Amino acid sequence: MTNRFSACLRLRASGVALFLATGLIAGCDAIGPQPWDRDLMAQQRMQLNPYPVEAAADDHIYFSKEGSSGGRAFAGGGCGCN
Amino acid sequence: MARGKLQATLAGLAAGLLGNGAQAADPAVSHVDTGILFYQELGGRVQAIEPELNGTLVFPDQHILTLGIVSDTLTGASPNGAVPSSKSQTFVTPAKPQGSSSVTSASGGTVVLPPPSGSGPGLLVRQYKVAPGATPLDPGFSDQRYAVNLGWAQPIDESRTASVSGTYSTEHDYRSISGSASIAQDLNSKNTTLNLAVNFESDLSQPIGGTPTPFTQMSGQLKGPNGSRTESDVVLGLTQIVNRYWILQLNYQYGYSNGYQNDPYRIISVVDPVSGNPMSYLYENRPKTRMKQSVYLENKIHIDDDIVDVSARYYRDSWGLSSTTLEVSDRSALTRDLYFEPLVRWYRQSAASFYRDYLVANQSLPQYASSDTRLGSFDAFTFGAKFGLAVGEGSEISLRGEYYVQSGNQHPSNAIGQLAHQNLFPTLSAVGLMLGYSFDL
Amino acid sequence: MPNAVSSPIVTEEVNASPTLRIAPEPNGYRLSFNAMACPCEVRVEVSDVTVAIEVGLVAEAEAKRIESKFSRYRDDNIVAEINRNSGHDVRVDPETAQLLDFASQFHEVSGGRFDITSGVLRRIWHFDGSDKLPSDGEIKALRLFIGWRKVRWRNPVIRLKPGMEIDFGGIGKEYAVDSALVAAQKITKAPVLINFGGDLRVSGPHADGSRWRVAIESTDHLGKPAGMLEIAEGALATSGDARRFLLKDGVRYGHILNPLSGRPVAGAPRSVTVAAATCIEAGMLATLAVLHGRLAEKFLEREKIQAWFIQ
Repeated sequence: MTNRFSACLRLRASGVALFLATGLIAGCDAIGPQPWDRDLMAQQRMQLNPYPVEAAADDHIYFSKEGSSGGRAFAGGGCGCN
Repeated sequence: MARGKLQATLAGLAAGLLGNGAQAADPAVSHVDTGILFYQELGGRVQAIEPELNGTLVFPDQHILTLGIVSDTLTGASPNGAVPSSKSQTFVTPAKPQGSSSVTSASGGTVVLPPPSGSGPGLLVRQYKVAPGATPLDPGFSDQRYAVNLGWAQPIDESRTASVSGTYSTEHDYRSISGSASIAQDLNSKNTTLNLAVNFESDLSQPIGGTPTPFTQMSGQLKGPNGSRTESDVVLGLTQIVNRYWILQLNYQYGYSNGYQNDPYRIISVVDPVSGNPMSYLYENRPKTRMKQSVYLENKIHIDDDIVDVSARYYRDSWGLSSTTLEVSDRSALTRDLYFEPLVRWYRQSAASFYRDYLVANQSLPQYASSDTRLGSFDAFTFGAKFGLAVGEGSEISLRGEYYVQSGNQHPSNAIGQLAHQNLFPTLSAVGLMLGYSFDL
Repeated sequence: MPNAVSSPIVTEEVNASPTLRIAPEPNGYRLSFNAMACPCEVRVEVSDVTVAIEVGLVAEAEAKRIESKFSRYRDDNIVAEINRNSGHDVRVDPETAQLLDFASQFHEVSGGRFDITSGVLRRIWHFDGSDKLPSDGEIKALRLFIGWRKVRWRNPVIRLKPGMEIDFGGIGKEYAVDSALVAAQKITKAPVLINFGGDLRVSGPHADGSRWRVAIESTDHLGKPAGMLEIAEGALATSGDARRFLLKDGVRYGHILNPLSGRPVAGAPRSVTVAAATCIEAGMLATLAVLHGRLAEKFLEREKIQAWFIQ
């Protein structure tokens, strides 16, 4: 469908992301915990991608069975599977 | 203790304690992750075995080298794009000469025919039959892929890190080379990180028998030259430690791809307008350009002793395809060393604008058409569970099982003739098992 | 307890940290906050207020970081993990390893008097000013779980015997003072005084060469000065029973427990203040002095330690 509604939706999806990002940065003078409260974050299991091999295997399966791509990171080099 | 010697000794101990100025942050540690995935689609379809290794080597001053290798062995049967019929169907496809992995006489009635005239040396034709009512699957699907990835990251200054990486992937009929560069800026006492990354990829499709001209008839003839494609992507990312328990990541990705986008082996059935019986098969045709955008949000939250991960992604591209993904997992400690992590993923996709289950004989050809169900409308669910066990300092073994179900519209209301009784979108079910072992160096 | 002579009562909040307050002083600024259950202050002799604030923030951050990391009152830090997993190997980070190395070496040097495994005694000794003393049987039972020799410490892995605990309470505050000063000196060369609840250290004398003046708190009249000390360099630490004690039958039992006997040190001085180059040295010597009980004075003389004490 190429009517105006879907065009607006397309623009808004990217706009929302940028707005959220700038909103977070603008108000960021004191956002986030003090340095002594960063202990839990230092744990390996609180990392955003603690098991890269698992994440890559999942991404590969979804890339070859579905039509979307992207999100977490680059799919690390294409296969001929999509 | 001799007189005064206590103070001298203690001074030495204190110097040892304070001299190094041990800092709060744990530096990155050299680490290796390995794993092997066993993947099986039910109903005799694709089976894959994929071992992978990923190593991170940390040099002084946080200079980091990453190395990854993966090997992918696929076998089985894969849909060729045609719809089922109440009559038996026969398909042909170019095949590699005898002795190669493409030709497996054991799989479902495959017959190797003598090469058609003028097809050149080294090319054969494979013919296979599909029973009435069965989803047409090409039984000779077989592939072996190797990929290697190398990356380097280093701090530019106190709050900025730069990294580059390159990947090379090769299989018998496809090759992909890509490179990426990124820069990360820390703000807010490192509670906030802004990330900008660009990626460039160049792919070469070298199908057996060449690339078919789109919308020409299915045949075993020698076809066109290799097809190449390039893709550029840019990612804007924000990582924010919100409070002691919650970290989030927000990414916006834009990609533009140009070149050969077709699946060279995929056909689409052209059916009789009344009976719905297949009359011919044409090679598919997809647009040359594809512009994609996605927004991704991930939250990782420490709740009591559990770690909950909730992520969502919205994707849209210029082919008219859009999707929503939602994934939730909860890692909880069963004992001091053992954890359990169940996972649920829901994925909903809306078809590309040129997706067709089939074409109708008396209608004019659309500009583009593909019956690849991966471009169709469907819902997919993943149910997974993982067990991880710490087996020493910095080492862990894990076992992860997943069940994936993808289901679309099996009986579209406008299905013609006999197609109303056929399953036009067979449900895909697959199970995956992954064994992992990671350790510090 | 030494308290640096304080100045005008007018303080302001510091934007970057809601718990940090700043007040101007004759030659600089005084920043104050609360950490490790005591009032903390940082005095910086500098004219640029932004530098003073930075020093204050960094000192507060160190104090709170070390408190979070090594406090025995939390159930989610490395100390809790080690204690919760007694009987099993626990891998520790480099900083904890350094503290454990220090504790281990000082245990030897002190003839076993300094022992970070003696914290379990607080299960039966509650120094709340009452007269409830534990029984001999209770003490004997708990001594099974005390003794650094029973701990297997091989950097970076520690293993306690089941039921044992480690407690950095005896060195945490002094270590925080030293760490905070090291961090402050990375920001400015100006004279700095760091005082966390009476354990303090200076980077050097005032800019004009004069000494910092600190008041010692009276042990009988808490909050009131008993005298003044002057310090030009190094650190001061105090060990004593001024605030935590038990009183039974006219006998005052101080809160420093002898790990070898499981009981408060007999005849210990009420308060010992030691001067040394670093706060951790001062703290260890003060604790050692108290652990010598009646022989504290002789111990201090013999070792030529600069100290003041109240019997």
